[in-house]
Amino acid sequence: MPEIRVTPLGAGQDVGRSCILVSIGGKNVMLDCGMHMGFNDDRRFPDFSYITRNGRLTDFLDCVIISHFHLDHCGALPYFSEMVGYDGPIYMTHPTQAICPILLEDYRKIAVDKKGEANFFTSQMIKDCMKKVVAVHLHQTVQGDYNMTPDRHLGAAWIDKCRPNLLITESTYATTIRDSKRCRERDFLKKVHETVERGGKVLIPVFALGRAQELCILLETFWERVNLKAPIYFSTGLTEKANHYYKLFITWTNQKIRKTFVQRNMFEFKHIKAFDRAFADNPGPMVVFATPGMLHAGQSLQIFRKWAGNEKNMVIMPGYCVQGTVGHKILSGQRKLEMEGRQVLEVKMQVEYMSFSAHADAKGIMQLVGQAEPESVLLVHGEAKKMEFLKQKIEQEFRVNCYMPANGETVTLPTSPSIPVGISLGLLKREMAQGLLPSAKKPRLLHGTLIMKDSSFQLVSSEQALKELGLAEHQLRFTCRVHLHDSRKEQETAARVYSHLKSVLKDHCVQHLPDGSVTVESILIQAAAHSEDPGTKVLLVSWTYQDEELGSYLTSLLKKGLPQAPS
Amino acid sequence: MDPECSQLLPALCAVLADPRQPVADDTCLEKLLDWFKTITEAGSSLQLLQENPCLVELLCHVLKPQGLSARVLSFSLRLAGVFAAQESCFQYLQQAELLPGLFGEAGPLGQAAWSAPTVRSGWIQGLRSLAQHPSALPFLADCGTLDTIFSLQGDSSLFVASAAGQLLVHILGLSLQRPAEGPPSPQACDWPVCAQKIVGHIEGSLRSMATPQVTQALNVLTTTFGHCHGPWMQVLWERLSPLVACLLQEDPLPAAHSLVDLLLSVARSPVLSSSDCGLWETLAQTLRRLSPAQAGPLALGILKLQDCPQALRAQAFGVLLQPLACVLTAADQAPGPPGLPEGTTGDSVTVDTLLSSKSACAGLLCQTLAHLELLQPLPQRPSPWPQAPLLGAAVTILRFCNGSAAPASDVGGRLCAILAGCVRVQRAALDFLGALAQETGPQELVTQVSAVLLEYLRSPDSSPTVLKKAFQATLRWLLSSPRAPGCCDLDPDTQLFLRELLPVLRKRLCSPCWEVRDSGLEFLTQVTRHWGGQAGFRHALLASEVPELAEQLLRDPESYVRASAVTAVGQLSSQGLHATAASPEQLGGQKESLLAELLHVLSTDSEGFPRRAAMQVFTEWLRDRHADVAEDTERFVARVLQAASRDLDWEVRAQGLELALVFLAQTLGQPSARCPYAVAAPQATPPGPLAQALRALSRVRLFEFAFRALFDCDRPVAQKSCDLLLFLRAQATPSGGLQEAEGSPDVVPVEAALQRWRAGEQGEPLGDLEPEAVLAVLRSLDLEGLRGALAESSDHVEKSPQSLLQDMLATVGVRGENQADCY
Repeated sequence: MPEIRVTPLGAGQDVGRSCILVSIGGKNVMLDCGMHMGFNDDRRFPDFSYITRNGRLTDFLDCVIISHFHLDHCGALPYFSEMVGYDGPIYMTHPTQAICPILLEDYRKIAVDKKGEANFFTSQMIKDCMKKVVAVHLHQTVQGDYNMTPDRHLGAAWIDKCRPNLLITESTYATTIRDSKRCRERDFLKKVHETVERGGKVLIPVFALGRAQELCILLETFWERVNLKAPIYFSTGLTEKANHYYKLFITWTNQKIRKTFVQRNMFEFKHIKAFDRAFADNPGPMVVFATPGMLHAGQSLQIFRKWAGNEKNMVIMPGYCVQGTVGHKILSGQRKLEMEGRQVLEVKMQVEYMSFSAHADAKGIMQLVGQAEPESVLLVHGEAKKMEFLKQKIEQEFRVNCYMPANGETVTLPTSPSIPVGISLGLLKREMAQGLLPSAKKPRLLHGTLIMKDSSFQLVSSEQALKELGLAEHQLRFTCRVHLHDSRKEQETAARVYSHLKSVLKDHCVQHLPDGSVTVESILIQAAAHSEDPGTKVLLVSWTYQDEELGSYLTSLLKKGLPQAPS
Repeated sequence: MDPECSQLLPALCAVLADPRQPVADDTCLEKLLDWFKTITEAGSSLQLLQENPCLVELLCHVLKPQGLSARVLSFSLRLAGVFAAQESCFQYLQQAELLPGLFGEAGPLGQAAWSAPTVRSGWIQGLRSLAQHPSALPFLADCGTLDTIFSLQGDSSLFVASAAGQLLVHILGLSLQRPAEGPPSPQACDWPVCAQKIVGHIEGSLRSMATPQVTQALNVLTTTFGHCHGPWMQVLWERLSPLVACLLQEDPLPAAHSLVDLLLSVARSPVLSSSDCGLWETLAQTLRRLSPAQAGPLALGILKLQDCPQALRAQAFGVLLQPLACVLTAADQAPGPPGLPEGTTGDSVTVDTLLSSKSACAGLLCQTLAHLELLQPLPQRPSPWPQAPLLGAAVTILRFCNGSAAPASDVGGRLCAILAGCVRVQRAALDFLGALAQETGPQELVTQVSAVLLEYLRSPDSSPTVLKKAFQATLRWLLSSPRAPGCCDLDPDTQLFLRELLPVLRKRLCSPCWEVRDSGLEFLTQVTRHWGGQAGFRHALLASEVPELAEQLLRDPESYVRASAVTAVGQLSSQGLHATAASPEQLGGQKESLLAELLHVLSTDSEGFPRRAAMQVFTEWLRDRHADVAEDTERFVARVLQAASRDLDWEVRAQGLELALVFLAQTLGQPSARCPYAVAAPQATPPGPLAQALRALSRVRLFEFAFRALFDCDRPVAQKSCDLLLFLRAQATPSGGLQEAEGSPDVVPVEAALQRWRAGEQGEPLGDLEPEAVLAVLRSLDLEGLRGALAESSDHVEKSPQSLLQDMLATVGVRGENQADCY
């Protein structure tokens, strides 16, 4: 009986260290390979020994799929591929591939910054790991954190009614229906504004990506609207690069940004400037975004120490802080912090928590399940109690089985092995005409386009698919310019090219068309005058994908020049 | 335990025991347990419990049915185990009837909480910690505990099941390891009760022939033979081996994978392999019995054994070579694969496996290639090593995969169809081919190797990962190629290969895939490093446009590629292979020097990797006294340090200190043995008069750079600077006379600047510092103290137990919904 087996090694009734093994159709797939910020030892990564005991890793595991670039989903990847020894393919989207190394470098920095971090991956390992990545276009990855509310920088998650056997979804905010995003933003802006108005300084510790971008856009727009003059600074070089990537992947971001982007580059901020350490002592109000996000080292901690003693100032923590960080301490209300050398730092500045976290709430998860219409649902990346609540809700509302395995627990789901697909008669006839009839012993490949409509599947010829879907066909042509020393007229050059090719390419169909151009199969060659140099002609060579080899051969041939013509 | 923690503990225990107070997060409980482990390892647990009665109260609370959270329950079980690891404390907890309550039927075992895997896991881990002394054994035997552990071996949670098996091994080892009078008796009735029960259970499982039970039993035995030693191991094996042998009669063979693990574990065990116990026969029988894919790991394991009968080794090697023999037979026109050990012909079972499906074929071939790759460098590998047929097989597989083979047989044709374009097999075969470069082969085959590598490097169908492996294999073959006799240059075949390779490299450096461009540059760097001095290589490279292309890649859109280009051109330049001189026709005449170009990268590149690479190149250049550097070393160092000091990337700044240290060593003499940096500086020039040297350091603004770095917000930078200044002080002080000679220097501006830097201000750059003033300040700084502080982890304060307890207490009641934001 074919079945799907799912075993979380991390993120089963748990948050962080996401790593889910899925066996499906004889293939073993690992979804995510994340880390846990709360630990500095072996426990920060999933325990891969449960996979390695099945023999060689690369033999056992067919691929790794990373849902997105957050460290709790990709932080263990270089360790897994370069130190544990996985040598197979890793799939992720283009933006994830671009941003992943930045965050991994950031993570490595934190690890190296602490003592005793031997056995940690190096920059070279991050690069080698990224070289194993196959970037893909996914409409949405199967599982991973997502958000049903559109962000300022990313569109809301959307998934087709694909009726999967199993939908694996995160459930971080499984019990919460969060207050509206607008409320949270208004609140945030109000707090920043008040502090700046009374001459205070605002520190916002951030991780390099995601939230930081959103908050920047928010403040930038607000500053513009209210005409504020207080400076806003960004303290890190990494975020510049992150902004750069967000620019590159503008098509993945949300509609509104894309529109605005045409008029003004949303990521090139007018009010937000690079921070210099010296600015922290400047008098007067300012807002500073600084890394790292949990106030556990580096720039953000340094600024915090300077500003903590003044009640006019404020620190806004826009995310979760693990135990053992200054961020965690001040969020839990501690006001007297022991620093190095038994010094005590009194925190008089205001401490605020503003969640802009990129997770879906209960409503969002329910929406997604409703849209996708899965046969079963499996919850990961959340706390057991909250999952339990959501599980019941899903089971009641959608009448489907919902699972929430703990780490190490396996869920086994039977699946139906065959999917009936209709084949258009035209396609079948055409294929038959081409050769032997297929038999059970000698199966034959049949090429066609699969159309999935409602709940039916149909295999048709590509022409028919274009017709049915109302799409126009596009042809991709490669073009290349070749410069030739020839002072004669263009027509004469073309004629010379024709006779040269005719003599060299005996097996191909070389034609001289009435308009003066020369063709070899699908390859088109036209001669044109050089705009500056009358002694030079430009040959424009273009070919289709199918004739790529011939095209590049011809270009290299023409680059060598034409044989001397009898003058 | 320090008094501060002792004071906080009762409140914390109260919080933990209160089901209405949810505990902040799992990591806190884990860390708390870590802390208790360190305390109990260092001192008496009994004393700890007596001094902190709140701990016993906490454990008592667990006994009450009151709905404690699964996490706290699990934590308490593990905590109790940690305490009870010491015999005195075990007795104490026994007397208080706490242990039976926690681990017996009356405890969580019988409650609803048991359904949570974390509770079951805590229960096992608690027992695992507790079972450290003989008095624990009756406790384990009496309370039905063992039966529960047996059943947990089949737990739905992988973690629990695995831990249960480990626990059984541990208990078995503990119960049999008591000081024995004479050899243990083979009669089970003489064994301790725990051992009897466990061995009985294992026997029962092996007899059951049901795969899950057999697997569990075999896994327990594997770990036992892997970890435990002593005469009783032999007795145990003698008793169980007939049952294991019985398994071999079953069809299908249950738990083959675990069986292989067990047999190898037994064979590796020193007690057993010396006295045969029929083990070799069982191994030989198993090799015959297993399918090709299952037999591979066993064959490899046998070949890795230090001493085992020659016949068995030959059999194992034959099994390992089977798939390759099939490939060779399928490809070869002549009958029988040449050169493989006798008896290794492709058998029909292996052929069937290879032809059964694409995944089976790829799986078997990849496994075989990986096993042989592992075996190749080992001293105990079979001898004679069939290098030639192995090379032939690797080349053939690669040819099957890229469709360039013309198989003569039907099987060959089918293999070709299955393997065409199979990236997995291509990667494995290229890795193996690279490993075979350790030794050479017949010239004809080496030519084939070169040809197939070129095919792969040239082919537009090669994926980036395959190309990377092809470059790596090529590098290994190139570097192992023989020198022409009588001169130190490359032999003619290698020359020829290079002439074909370089145009391919040139094409790959223009690949649209950044991965490929990067792999190409890495290859170029490596090959130049090794062959930069060979005239033949130099000639071919300079004629190839590759150096020019590498330089163009300094402006690649991908930062990783820019970084690799920086490293490559740095290496080329070190070897005098940089392209500057070779482009006289370039418009504009004067071409910017590479030094200027790399300085430009260092000061303007928007990303860290190229800047780091540039710093590394500069450090190398300084170390090797590169011509461009030697022209005006001081100006060079000053410019590099100035650029590095402004860098946002901490590794660039740290690398700047590395460069500063090299300069320091060259100016002042070798770093002493006390210096933590093993700088491989070339023989330093004899240090000039100290004052002169110090002025040079001042002119390049090294002092300023190092002092600023001393207060860097990134700890590794500060640490490195501290080491550098300590070295400087040690080097500069002994001759000492300076200070007296010059009178007391004016240290005020230096100290003022230090104050500002310490406060994190940038401040104005200092003018030329008086070296004497710097030395005086250096002597007044507590650098040793600073080094001690910096050697601590940057979060050591927050990591302290006191901080942990405070944090756990502080989070009570303020636990919001947002505990789980993404990072």
